[in-house]
Amino acid sequence: MSTYIPSEHFRTAENLIYEWARCIDENRVEAIASLLCETGRYTVKSRFNHDRQLPMAIIDCHSPAQLRDRILSMRIANIYAPQHYRHIISGVQIVGTSQDADGVFTLQVRSNYLVVRTMELDGDMKIISTGQCQDEIVLDASTAEGARFKNRLFLYDSRVIETLLIIPI
Amino acid sequence: MAQNAIMTKQTWPAEGFTRAPYWVYTDAAIYAQEQANIFRGNTWNYLGLEAEVPEIGNYKTTYIGEQSVVMTRAEDGQIHAVQNRCAHRGNMVCREAFGQAKKLSCVYHAWNYNLKGDLTHAAFSKGLRGEGGLPEDFKHADHGLLKLRVATLCGLVFATFSNDTPPLEDWLGDVAAGIKRVLHKPLKVLGYDTQRIHANWKAYHENPRDSYHANILHTFYGTFGLSRQSQESGMTLDAAGRHVYFYTKAGTEKPSTDFDKTASDLRSKNDALRLEDPSILKWTDEFGDGVSVQILTTYPSFVLHQIANSLATRQLLPKGPHQCDLVWTYFGFEDDDVVMTERRLAQANLAGSAGLISVEDAAVCEMMQKAMADGATGESFMEMGGKTLTSGGSSKLSERAIRNFWHNYRMDMKL
Repeated sequence: MSTYIPSEHFRTAENLIYEWARCIDENRVEAIASLLCETGRYTVKSRFNHDRQLPMAIIDCHSPAQLRDRILSMRIANIYAPQHYRHIISGVQIVGTSQDADGVFTLQVRSNYLVVRTMELDGDMKIISTGQCQDEIVLDASTAEGARFKNRLFLYDSRVIETLLIIPI
Repeated sequence: MAQNAIMTKQTWPAEGFTRAPYWVYTDAAIYAQEQANIFRGNTWNYLGLEAEVPEIGNYKTTYIGEQSVVMTRAEDGQIHAVQNRCAHRGNMVCREAFGQAKKLSCVYHAWNYNLKGDLTHAAFSKGLRGEGGLPEDFKHADHGLLKLRVATLCGLVFATFSNDTPPLEDWLGDVAAGIKRVLHKPLKVLGYDTQRIHANWKAYHENPRDSYHANILHTFYGTFGLSRQSQESGMTLDAAGRHVYFYTKAGTEKPSTDFDKTASDLRSKNDALRLEDPSILKWTDEFGDGVSVQILTTYPSFVLHQIANSLATRQLLPKGPHQCDLVWTYFGFEDDDVVMTERRLAQANLAGSAGLISVEDAAVCEMMQKAMADGATGESFMEMGGKTLTSGGSSKLSERAIRNFWHNYRMDMKL
């Protein structure tokens, strides 16, 4: 990498990515919406579609409000077998940075994820998704986290979704 | 044959098509028989869209039942379908989901076929230096890929292994109108979603035929008024009862005390579910008839949906008695503008494996399969709307379309 990236940027990005995963794994799913910028976007798309330049994504929230709506529907409208997730994250890497006129940094970040789903009723465990996160993270000292996602794109590896994906990843 | 011996001890409940015994969802011998009698039998099975193979040489690798099938746009510009199994030693010929090729070539021994499946060349067929080679009486014409009959309707491609399946439009009967209503101009693929459901394929096939559940199970429909039982709706079957489509018109509520009494108990209308950003539900009446939801199912493995402006086909692929894959292909029209494409993509959030409306369907299929256990005991009960193939008429509060499925299934399976 040609440009120098301060190590605190790396720590900030890594922490934000872990925070998102922990909110979900600890069943505080609602909290992830506040990790998105007001104009932030959260997308879950198959590598199969992405590789073929096909635009359709199984989840595409264009704002924290749309993400909150999806989580509310998950909580009170949708029916599914009780389950919870564990995220395993690796390979967090900053692949690009930029700075706007006000000095605000934006980081382009890549990471790998793996999600194990555990079913409450029988305790069955299964890897339900692996893939790459392509994130755009805005460093903003005015927020508690110090950083938020401008874009969170989960590109999942298999074209298959096991049963359904209702809890966000 | 031990399994068959066990199976024949099972007899269908005396009530007939108002019941489905649970062993048909679990028995391995029944499953094997379905592959022969239904998927390789007298049925048209959906392969894909013409828009997926727009150019000569384009192919798509897919399945009918468990058989791998390749759909091609051949040298003649027409769509053809062949079994994806080399005529020589049975190797898979195509292994890409989608591809572009001048010929279909088996990697094992370089037997080459044209895009219609005719054998054009087999490596070293004349031997080398007078040794080896195929016998003198070998005729290329006798060793092509197995060809399926293909028929298209409004950009949909169907194929059948059987010579006896009636022509596609005759077979679809009155249900063809539901296809023509939606697919009235050239299509553009927007993307795919495959959902792996750990349940027998029939548990899923029954689901979109089941208009009774739609406004009960799916809270999202009722709460936001895209589909409610109080709205103007209807159902059409073909004369043989193999296929069905039903529709609902949003915004046509007819008040009735019956509805108010029942609806108050339904979990499908939840006043706590209020969207901060309801823009994903904004739809336009693009077909000009007020229909907000149309779900069309053809026997045994195809669904076409219009949910607001979300359009998709669903292809049902059995994967053993206890599993099936549901392949969703989302599309729009070639002449859609940016706004319309964005609307269709936003509404893709409503259906499919992460769909706010429809995730329940896969969950219910799996819960059913779990409750059936080994299938040795029990049967379903389907008398909503009456006990005959016609009772229930065009009302959505009816299991008429499911009774008709089992009627046809039993004839095909000789059960």
